[in-house]
Amino acid sequence: MSVLKPFAILLTLLVFVSPVFAFGDSALSSENVAASAISMAEESVVSAYQTVLEAEAAGANVSDLLARLNVAVEDLAQAHISYRLGDFDGAGRFASLCIDVGEAVKIEAYKLRDLAVEGGRQRFWWTMVGSIIGVGAVVCGSFLGWRVFQRRYFQRVFGMKPEVVSDES
Amino acid sequence: MNLEDYRTLFAATSLTLMLVAAAPTLSLVVPFTRSAELFSELWVLGSNHMAENYPFNVRVGEQYPVFVGVGNHLGVSAYYMVYVKFRNQSQPLPDAQNSIPSPLPPLFEFRFLIMNGESWEAPLTFTFLEASRSENSCLIRRMSINDVVFSVDLSSTWDSENKGFYYQLFLELWLYDATSRSFQFHDRFVGIWLNMTG
Repeated sequence: MSVLKPFAILLTLLVFVSPVFAFGDSALSSENVAASAISMAEESVVSAYQTVLEAEAAGANVSDLLARLNVAVEDLAQAHISYRLGDFDGAGRFASLCIDVGEAVKIEAYKLRDLAVEGGRQRFWWTMVGSIIGVGAVVCGSFLGWRVFQRRYFQRVFGMKPEVVSDES
Repeated sequence: MNLEDYRTLFAATSLTLMLVAAAPTLSLVVPFTRSAELFSELWVLGSNHMAENYPFNVRVGEQYPVFVGVGNHLGVSAYYMVYVKFRNQSQPLPDAQNSIPSPLPPLFEFRFLIMNGESWEAPLTFTFLEASRSENSCLIRRMSINDVVFSVDLSSTWDSENKGFYYQLFLELWLYDATSRSFQFHDRFVGIWLNMTG
């Protein structure tokens, strides 16, 4: 009996204390999940943003992509605010929304960037061909023009008759 | 004019025309430096979208709407963040000269992307929910910004010179830097002084 009594007390204590630890673990786990989701959301947004910048640099119109990415970053801001306020479930929810939109924008941005790069390459070649033709036309035109001008100039000079001027003084 | 003069004129005209023909290709190859200054704007407007009617004498339970705006003149689309912070007279402001943000934790934040040459604007409505006053100090316990409630627990002592309990709601502009892959304080902040009257 004397051995059973402390054991019973210990068991009772464990029964009462274990939910506290379990709750603490759960809160910690929830916080970690939210922090991880926010980190992934940030990576998703940044990756999408950098692809949008590449598309923009290639000459694409990125206004639609930026409008969609703005929805994602608003969610990310909400996730950060919720996290700071201790609302880890809310933070995780907003971060997940952000990841979804961010990934979709990134895929669109890649497509747009590739299209813009290809368009830019074609534009460059056509512009270069146009310039080469233009320069060639100027060189040929100038050469022919000069020959024609030269011939007329000599015809005019050789066709002149010497004038005799009398010295009356 | 003799023949040599005509030849020079022809050569000059031809060269000019060649340059004109080659200009579209040259513009794609030669990088032309921008002479324009690259910068961002940050502003706060009053409730009527003008730089007037800012809240000053504030009390518990009333809503105070203002508008926050940012303009992008950086030459490319930019990813910004605005931190909303709240301080009393003794707490530090950012040091824009040395690019040091205020060490105070942010309450609210905005994140957004803006194309070059465009601007962004959003409403910012704040309300003081709980405050207490003693003889020469005032303590703001809770406030809400855009319907999100924050515990602030910030006290202010009576400013006998300006006759009031002064606080400042201020906004810091941060810019995402692709090189460091992080947000950097963009050396701009604006704030509005508030006198807690009741």
